[in-house]
Amino acid sequence: MATQISPCSSSSLHQEPIFGAKLLTLSRITSTPKWVSKIHPRIDPRNQFKLKSSNGYSLNAVSVQDVGAAEKPLAKEPVLPEQTESILSVTVVGASGDLAKKKIFPALFALFYEGCLPQNFVIYGYARTKMTDEQLRETISRTLTCRIDKRENCGDKMEEFLKRCFYHSGQYDSEEHFAELDKKLKQKEEGKLSNRLFYLSIPPNIFVDVVRSASCKASSQNGWTRVIVEKPFGRDSESSAELTKNLKQYLAEDQIFRIDHYLGKELVENLSVLRFSNLVFEPLWSRNYIRNVQFIFSEDFGTEGRGGYFDNYGIIRDIMQNHLLQILALFAMETPVSLDAEDIRNEKVKVLRSMRPLRLKDVVIGQYKGQSKGGKTYLGYAEDPTVPNDSLTPTFAAAALFIDNARWDGVPFLMKAGKALNTKRAEIRVQFRHVPGNLYKRNFGMDMDKATNELVLRVQPDEAIYLKINNKVPGLGMRLDRSDLNLLYKMRYPKEIPDAYERLLLDAIEGERRLFIRSDELDAAWSIFTPLLKELERKKITPELYPYGSRGPVGAHYLAAEYNVRWGDLAGDE
Amino acid sequence: MATFSSSTHCPSSSPYFNRSNNNRFQQPLTTSVRPKQQPPRTTRNLSLQHSSSKSNGLVKAVHLQDGTSSKKAASSVKSDGPANILKDGILSVPPVTLPEEITDVVNVDFNKENSTVSITVVGASGDLAKKKIFPALFALYYEGFLPKHFTIFGYARSKMTDAELRTMVSKTLTCRIDQRENCGEKMDQFLERCFYHPGQYDSQENFLELDKKLKEHEGGRVANRLFYLSIPPNIFIDAVKCASTSASTANGWTRVIVEKPFGRDSESSAALTRSLKQYLEEDQIFRIDHYLGKELVENLSVLRFSNLIFEPLWSRQYIRSVQFIFAEDFGTEGRGGYFDNYGIIRDIMQNHLLQILALFAMETPVSLDAEDIRNEKVKVLRSMRPLQLDDVVTGQYKSHTRGGVKYPAYTDDKTVPNDSLTPTFAAAALFIDNARWDGVPFLMKAGKALHDRRAEIRVQFRHVPGNLYNKNIGTDLDLATNELVIRVQPDEAIYLKINNKVPGLGMRLDRSNLNLLYSTRYSKEIPDAYERLLLDAIEGERRLFIRSDELDAAWSLFTPVLKELEEKKIVPEYYPYGSRGPVGAHYLAARYKVRWGDVGSE
Repeated sequence: MATQISPCSSSSLHQEPIFGAKLLTLSRITSTPKWVSKIHPRIDPRNQFKLKSSNGYSLNAVSVQDVGAAEKPLAKEPVLPEQTESILSVTVVGASGDLAKKKIFPALFALFYEGCLPQNFVIYGYARTKMTDEQLRETISRTLTCRIDKRENCGDKMEEFLKRCFYHSGQYDSEEHFAELDKKLKQKEEGKLSNRLFYLSIPPNIFVDVVRSASCKASSQNGWTRVIVEKPFGRDSESSAELTKNLKQYLAEDQIFRIDHYLGKELVENLSVLRFSNLVFEPLWSRNYIRNVQFIFSEDFGTEGRGGYFDNYGIIRDIMQNHLLQILALFAMETPVSLDAEDIRNEKVKVLRSMRPLRLKDVVIGQYKGQSKGGKTYLGYAEDPTVPNDSLTPTFAAAALFIDNARWDGVPFLMKAGKALNTKRAEIRVQFRHVPGNLYKRNFGMDMDKATNELVLRVQPDEAIYLKINNKVPGLGMRLDRSDLNLLYKMRYPKEIPDAYERLLLDAIEGERRLFIRSDELDAAWSIFTPLLKELERKKITPELYPYGSRGPVGAHYLAAEYNVRWGDLAGDE
Repeated sequence: MATFSSSTHCPSSSPYFNRSNNNRFQQPLTTSVRPKQQPPRTTRNLSLQHSSSKSNGLVKAVHLQDGTSSKKAASSVKSDGPANILKDGILSVPPVTLPEEITDVVNVDFNKENSTVSITVVGASGDLAKKKIFPALFALYYEGFLPKHFTIFGYARSKMTDAELRTMVSKTLTCRIDQRENCGEKMDQFLERCFYHPGQYDSQENFLELDKKLKEHEGGRVANRLFYLSIPPNIFIDAVKCASTSASTANGWTRVIVEKPFGRDSESSAALTRSLKQYLEEDQIFRIDHYLGKELVENLSVLRFSNLIFEPLWSRQYIRSVQFIFAEDFGTEGRGGYFDNYGIIRDIMQNHLLQILALFAMETPVSLDAEDIRNEKVKVLRSMRPLQLDDVVTGQYKSHTRGGVKYPAYTDDKTVPNDSLTPTFAAAALFIDNARWDGVPFLMKAGKALHDRRAEIRVQFRHVPGNLYNKNIGTDLDLATNELVIRVQPDEAIYLKINNKVPGLGMRLDRSNLNLLYSTRYSKEIPDAYERLLLDAIEGERRLFIRSDELDAAWSLFTPVLKELEEKKIVPEYYPYGSRGPVGAHYLAARYKVRWGDVGSE
């Protein structure tokens, strides 16, 4: 393993030079923006799966950033791909879990089907359950589906894929069991250059144990070892810092891939393309023209008997502090020097650090209550058997955030997230200011809100981009209305859009870190929300109850009204 | 009749005659327009009420503005309806600002009982009259836009009875697709109001007879008269003279709609204007450019001025070039007689395309008032550099055989001289030397017998400075610029070409359109440009008509190059019938480092 440091006893000696490099780096890492200084562009690294990279070209650039970090020498390996054949192993820790079955294995299969995985690879499932390889394959095969647009050979491909899947049962905190896994992996690797990716799809309380065991006993000896970690990353600044500290005992920063699957969504990826590759948008991207920005997430179902985990976190931690805030950072960041992961993440951190910590008065929380509709009864959140009856955990929250920098001073960034609402959607709405001295004022009547432009990026469902413009209604006379300049993805791009997990897994395999969250980003994100979260809990703020399937608590409107804006999704015109 | 003080004791006594002679541009109008006597507040209120007959907010705004602005003040002693009514004391509506509904009622009453409009189509047997004017009048009638009392007269030399005219008209009338009910009935009602009067175009006597007939129909109401001159330019003046001296209204307004050509260069245009002004005031002359009545051209200002997102981009800082493109997929087809004397530059560029350019490029007007808009248009036109010969490419179509069908060359047209050098195609690069547009090429292209039929405005934006995605876009930076396209015809649409990520793993960019296709968004049929323009003329809305100084400014841009083309007998580049036009157009664009957007890969 490239980056293993003292905590593991069985450090291998042949890693000496890397170890040295690592120490050197570490010694420089003293404060948060440590990555900024790591530019050693002397090596010309490359990537073995260049063509399939999820962002086409920035890999090399990213690898330049890697130089000086633990993987530096490894980045050199692929220079001789022919001589030293490499093999990738992906170990899904928590293979029997829901996420693994629904998302991870299918995503791996899709990558395989599309030819995005390297020629040599093995997939290992790891969990406590006793299972044979065959049994694992059977479990997996039930959830595998082929892309709609390329069904040919799907059966064959599935067979091939399943042959590469294996299972190893073991305890999550047992170094011994991981050592067994290591042995099995080595057999499969047959002495090739081995790259190992661990996907931790397990509850947070055993994160660190697994990381320790995996890193000490099952790290690659001659290739890279990377670990993908899922949320939650703690529940406040302190617990998150603690988790990071623990992870870093066993892993270097660039081995940690904190996944936020919203960053893998097509439209979120496209956000930067829109901004930075179109002249028409960038001039508008500031307080001069934008009145407010809204990030909206809603689900049309509740916890449905799975409230155990959720109740401990609540919607703010579950959706806002990570998904919505990450999108906000991408939206609002300054132009990065390049598309390199470190350049982008540097800009994101800057934005996050420019943000005012959220205040209680800028937040509205809600919780859904039972509702009977059409003869059907929907349970309230507190009626969920897995949730305490007196739970105050918010299932809905709206918040107004502010970025105190030159570009965004005074522009409210509204967020809204909720469960058990009337619709399912995720979108970004950019509301522009009024036209100063609008010549057509009389045609709009009094409602100036109807007269502003709005750019909407609908992340899901039915990916679309549209720009609401004022237009003359054709005909004699001069009546104006709002029409959309729109781009509906399914009309323009008939191909199915890959799942976010496919992109993110591919990026992790290729070492592309752009869409993963760096430790300092995470710290900055928590600092914005932690004070508020603590206050909510300390003061036992009671959430506003809203009926299951409704539009959420009306409090959200008053919050928006305080900043003289309106929620774009409830305007009634769509 | 207020303005036609000149009518009885004809030409020379016109107070406008001298002034308009001396000042070619702006001044005569603006000065004439200064309110000598501040009109009473009533004027404003009245005009507001009047205009609401159009059930249209803008006009209201415009008229409201009018009330305070100069022009109407002048016209209160001249020809404008409401002011006149006020003067004549026929109507006494209290000078209060009434809510819309109430004013509508008042207004309807006033129209019903007291005034009438008669529309005389001079040249009623012509093609335009049959194809456009009568159908547009009918559409207005069908939609309820014409006042309750109105009469339509056809006037031409042919001998014809009223019934014959009606038969002729009825052949070309169609109902809007979306509202077919009662169409037959409505058509009958409409035809009952159509009459015919035969006469010579230069005969005062014949026009006097017309006047008599009109008076019968007007029945003593406030009589407003609109003359639509759909006749060849050589008899314009005669007809104007006779109509104005012998058939002007005595107590309402008299307006005259004139069609192109307005001369063939600065001098002849000025002479025509001078002659018209012997008989008419500036605000009686409605020079029609039907492109200005097109839906998407009307919408151009709405897009610019009522959307925050466009105005910041509307300058040299962001726009690399603007293209105005007009293409027809047919030639002169045996009707080249008129065309050959003018050519495509005069026929399309100097008027239609230049007018759209002026609307596109003008500064924000003070209001949507006609005079404010036309003032801004004149300013743009006067900031433009006269067109240089170097910046023009001319072409003429030659015959072409395709799929066994032989398409004739322009000079094969029997009505065209065999050695004609008249361009049927032209491309030009124009420049506006003002702060907003310095250095931005405004390209125009117009042609007949091309491979498709279209009229559109294309706004090409600059490159993204320091584009992060340069590598993804490859070396062809032309593929990477944004473009806003306003397609005027066919299939009205607005779309913005943006760079977008192709969905999927990997990072491939392509150009997608953010688009608004009118036929999808608005199911209603879009009215013909003539409907709007006729309605505007009836209502005295001058925004879409060309003022004399605009016309002068437009001619000054093109006259030198037109003369040079003719003096030097520049031979046009030949292009096959049905092709994309001469390649010279590409070299012209290349000179200014731009590309025609319409012949890309779309």
